[in-house]
Amino acid sequence: MTDVAAIPVLDLTTASSGALLRRRIMAHRGLLIGTGLLTLIILVALLAPLLAPHDPYAQDLSRRMIPPIWYEKGNWAHLLGTDNLGRDYLSRVLYGAQISLLIGVSVMVISGLIGTALGLAAGFFGGRVDMIVTFFITVRLALPLILVALAVVATVGGSLWVVILVLGLLKWDRFAVVMRAATQQVRVLDYVAAAEAAGASTLRVIVGEVLPNLLPQLVVVATVEAASAILLEAALSFLGLGVQPPLPSWGLMIAEAKTYMFFSFWLIAIPGTALAVLVFAVNMVGDGIRDVSAPGGRG
Amino acid sequence: MLIYALKRLGLAVLVAVVVSALAFLLLRASGDVAIALAGEGARNEDIENIRRIYGLDRPLVVQYLDWAAKMARGDFGTSLFFKTDVHALVLEKLPTTALLALFSLIFALAVSLPLGILAALYPNSWIDRLCLALAVIGQALPSFFFALILMIVFAVMLRWLPVSGSDSWAHFVLPTVVLGYYIAPAIMRLVRAGMIEVLASDYVRTARAKGLSSRSVVLKHALRNALVPVVALSAVQLGFLLGGSVVIETVFALDGLGYLAYQSITHKDLPVTQAIVTLLSLIYVGLTLAADLANAWLDPRIRVGGGS
Amino acid sequence: MSRFSTGVLTAAVAAMVAVAPALADKKTNSIRFAYDQVVENVDPYMNNVRIGVIIGQQVWDTLIYRDPKTSEYKGQLATAWKWLDDKTLELDLRKGVKFHNGAEFTADDVVYTLNFVVSPDSKVVTRQNVAWIDRAEKIDAYKVRIICKEPFPAAIEYLAGPVVIHPHEYYAKVGPQGMNEKPVGSGPYRISEHSVGKFVRMERNPDYFKDSPKPQPKIEKVEIRFIPDRQTQVAEMMAGGADMIMNVALDQATQMKAVPTLQVVSGETMRIAFLHLDTREATTAPPLRDLKVRQAIMHAIDRESMVKQIVGQGARVLNTLCFPPQFGCSDEGAPRYSYDPAKAKALLAEAGFKDGFDIDLYAYRERNQTEAMIGYLRAVGIRANLRFMQYAAMREANRAGKAAMLHQTWGSFSVNDVSASTPVYYKFGPDDVSRDPEVRDFLQRGDSQVDPAVRKEAYRKALALIAERAYSLPLYSLTTYYVANKDLAFIAYPDEIPRFWEMSYK
Repeated sequence: MTDVAAIPVLDLTTASSGALLRRRIMAHRGLLIGTGLLTLIILVALLAPLLAPHDPYAQDLSRRMIPPIWYEKGNWAHLLGTDNLGRDYLSRVLYGAQISLLIGVSVMVISGLIGTALGLAAGFFGGRVDMIVTFFITVRLALPLILVALAVVATVGGSLWVVILVLGLLKWDRFAVVMRAATQQVRVLDYVAAAEAAGASTLRVIVGEVLPNLLPQLVVVATVEAASAILLEAALSFLGLGVQPPLPSWGLMIAEAKTYMFFSFWLIAIPGTALAVLVFAVNMVGDGIRDVSAPGGRG
Repeated sequence: MLIYALKRLGLAVLVAVVVSALAFLLLRASGDVAIALAGEGARNEDIENIRRIYGLDRPLVVQYLDWAAKMARGDFGTSLFFKTDVHALVLEKLPTTALLALFSLIFALAVSLPLGILAALYPNSWIDRLCLALAVIGQALPSFFFALILMIVFAVMLRWLPVSGSDSWAHFVLPTVVLGYYIAPAIMRLVRAGMIEVLASDYVRTARAKGLSSRSVVLKHALRNALVPVVALSAVQLGFLLGGSVVIETVFALDGLGYLAYQSITHKDLPVTQAIVTLLSLIYVGLTLAADLANAWLDPRIRVGGGS
Repeated sequence: MSRFSTGVLTAAVAAMVAVAPALADKKTNSIRFAYDQVVENVDPYMNNVRIGVIIGQQVWDTLIYRDPKTSEYKGQLATAWKWLDDKTLELDLRKGVKFHNGAEFTADDVVYTLNFVVSPDSKVVTRQNVAWIDRAEKIDAYKVRIICKEPFPAAIEYLAGPVVIHPHEYYAKVGPQGMNEKPVGSGPYRISEHSVGKFVRMERNPDYFKDSPKPQPKIEKVEIRFIPDRQTQVAEMMAGGADMIMNVALDQATQMKAVPTLQVVSGETMRIAFLHLDTREATTAPPLRDLKVRQAIMHAIDRESMVKQIVGQGARVLNTLCFPPQFGCSDEGAPRYSYDPAKAKALLAEAGFKDGFDIDLYAYRERNQTEAMIGYLRAVGIRANLRFMQYAAMREANRAGKAAMLHQTWGSFSVNDVSASTPVYYKFGPDDVSRDPEVRDFLQRGDSQVDPAVRKEAYRKALALIAERAYSLPLYSLTTYYVANKDLAFIAYPDEIPRFWEMSYK
């Protein structure tokens, strides 16, 4: 729920040289840690079919609620125990990486496409286009996001793609705001004017000259949005209007395990930790990119 | 200034109209309310009957115009689920949510202002890193999970605070901390960035050169300037808090506007959902308008530039 | 948070609770009851939620009372009743009963209440509970006649359940809305404060009539608080902020047995769960038209294990679509579908679905049970996709022919007669998605005949036919777990109604 104003628009007039950038990246511990964790989670998601010891959907009611291996009653067949339907928890957590990443990335892509297109148009053309886009953004910001998302999901019925679409169609505002402001800055730079003077088409100027200069900001917003989408999905799941079981999304697993919080804390702690690490990693990557691409250090 | 204010006001009214129309259409384009009303085991003729009584058989446009005209007069209609006046229902629940949002904002400011200033005064120090860590780690847990952990520790194990409800100030402590915690980092970042910028600026250097103590420079000159955007962000965050407290209200059984909205959504109680969404949008529009005007007043550059 | 070790947490919580002082509410002789659903209007005719039924029974009285222990009918507001003919019931009313506002109970109250709730413009939401009534007539101040639309032998059961009596002058003046704001009944408790969506506070009715079959209430005050999140309810119980909760999930209830300040009581309820299948020609799931496919679904689900592992103590596997103690409920002559995944696969292959098929499964409560069924169906190749929603939305989709497979439950409005369950789904009503005239005719006969033996036989045949043709899969009766302060004495009844007037602290 951070506001658009909280994301400072980077000053792009000073470009870092490649070598300097590399040195800054290597020196930035947060970025390295974040990238490492994120890579690990992506690998886990991709390799889940190979890594998972069991079918994440195979249930056995007679083997339910087996605690993880570090408890006395743990069982080597289920390293992280089994859930309330006797499904292997490790396998579900591994496959859950796929679902949670899919939600984060898809929402980010949909909202990113909408927001970037609107923001670029507003910043590049200015005038009436800018007025209309700004009006769109204001209207969108005025609508209470979570309530509208809940209302739509309640009407259409919760499913993975409904949740992704609803969040994607609602969360473009930050992209639009940041892209608009950044485009306004780049628009007046000499080489953009030069490209235009050289007779390049508008589309070519935007895609070829403007957009590449906005990439750092785009990536920063994208990470913030991906993390926030993953958390929002968990909130929707808590209210029963997120993705539907038996899909092993981490948000849904946390929401379902909350009833076991008092007596089987591991049921919520395991997906909770996984989700926290993912969101943490994504945020670290975003922060890191913000830092290394901004000349003045952290801003 | 007057022209700027009128312009902003005009825009706010336009946004309000569009938002209310959107709220109506978005929510109206859903399933059959009459069946939701009829209840378990109702027959088709009962459903037809209800449809007729509530005027749900009229064309959508007619229903919207009817609704908008009534909204303008302060008549929000009758709740399909509670069968009571929506206006009264919403007004009854609004104070709880407004209090929670206000408390959360105050808590967030109380935490983020000093931390942000310290982080800006000592960049890359341990305190700066701590602020960053708080900002990044704090956002990594779903809010309901964090809320339940606080509840278990402080209400069930230590018994310092009540578990749920909204009867006394003590009931608001845990929800305030949870909600405030989630908006604090944004404010902290803004304060830090603003302070660093202002501290590096010419006039602060001039003030220092004039021999003013560094404490008075920070408090009187730098802070005042760094706070301008914080005012705007706070107003916006307050709007978000009002609309975003549904999860926390559900966890702590706070019975405010957010929970009423959730109830109305799951019961397809359209008049209530529409009224709340519209009301929250209007509050947001009002808050941003106020923030814009306050900013323009504080910072003349905005009104000269025309703003957005 | 991962450092939070479960063992430590559990031990700490248990220790904290163990040393906690005795709960304050034993001293004040009051009960704080937490419930997850809000009641939109406490007038029993104006809500269709369980908590509404619960409040209704505390605050209002009915003409007849069914003793929950013996199932025997006793006079409550009526003292005697007899059928004058197939459709006319005459009742003698009790003298000297007062409503909470001091008004004397007379025939006018019965006549006004019943005639009001059957009128189409009354906006009553529990219409099916009164739809059988044509009108009520006053004979004298303490004698009334109720005329049914058609012969309706289950009338007594309905009069002993959801059909409460309002004070006529007050109800005429304030209507259902005023009744919600300042409710007035004649029951053992009167409502002192109702904050919509937040709480209902009740006080003992000191003038409750001595001859009532409901015993005189002992608990002074009852507060019903609406707490939407189950986990918060559990936390309130552990922290001593509530004295009683119900509908606790099996696992939580089992674990809370370890908490020394609490007691866990379970009981079978009248609510039955079943898989409801749309087998009509236009169904969105054509495989369901095939009897073999439906039989395969029956054989795929291990109901015994579900009952044992996730439904709970006291629940039983059902073979027909009714609650066994209901009058007319029988599984005699109905086929038994055993858990046999191999047979299910073979049946599917015979029906031409060797590789299974995709289907949407709609559900609205006990999601973990739906999830278990999805797992079982998946094991035989049927890929069920969960569509979880509010009850009303699910029913709407089913009636409109959009939802072909439902995890449905039915509580019969606590009416102990088959006429309140099976016919709802198989007598060509809006919820009948099989439309079998043979079944309908048997049910019609059971509903409208007066001779109990004839009724039973007709219902038996209808139920056996439904099972044979596998129109729906009867799953099991459900169990309700109550968690309460360990000093509170109470009994869990199958009708899911806590009777605060019977409760007391030890």
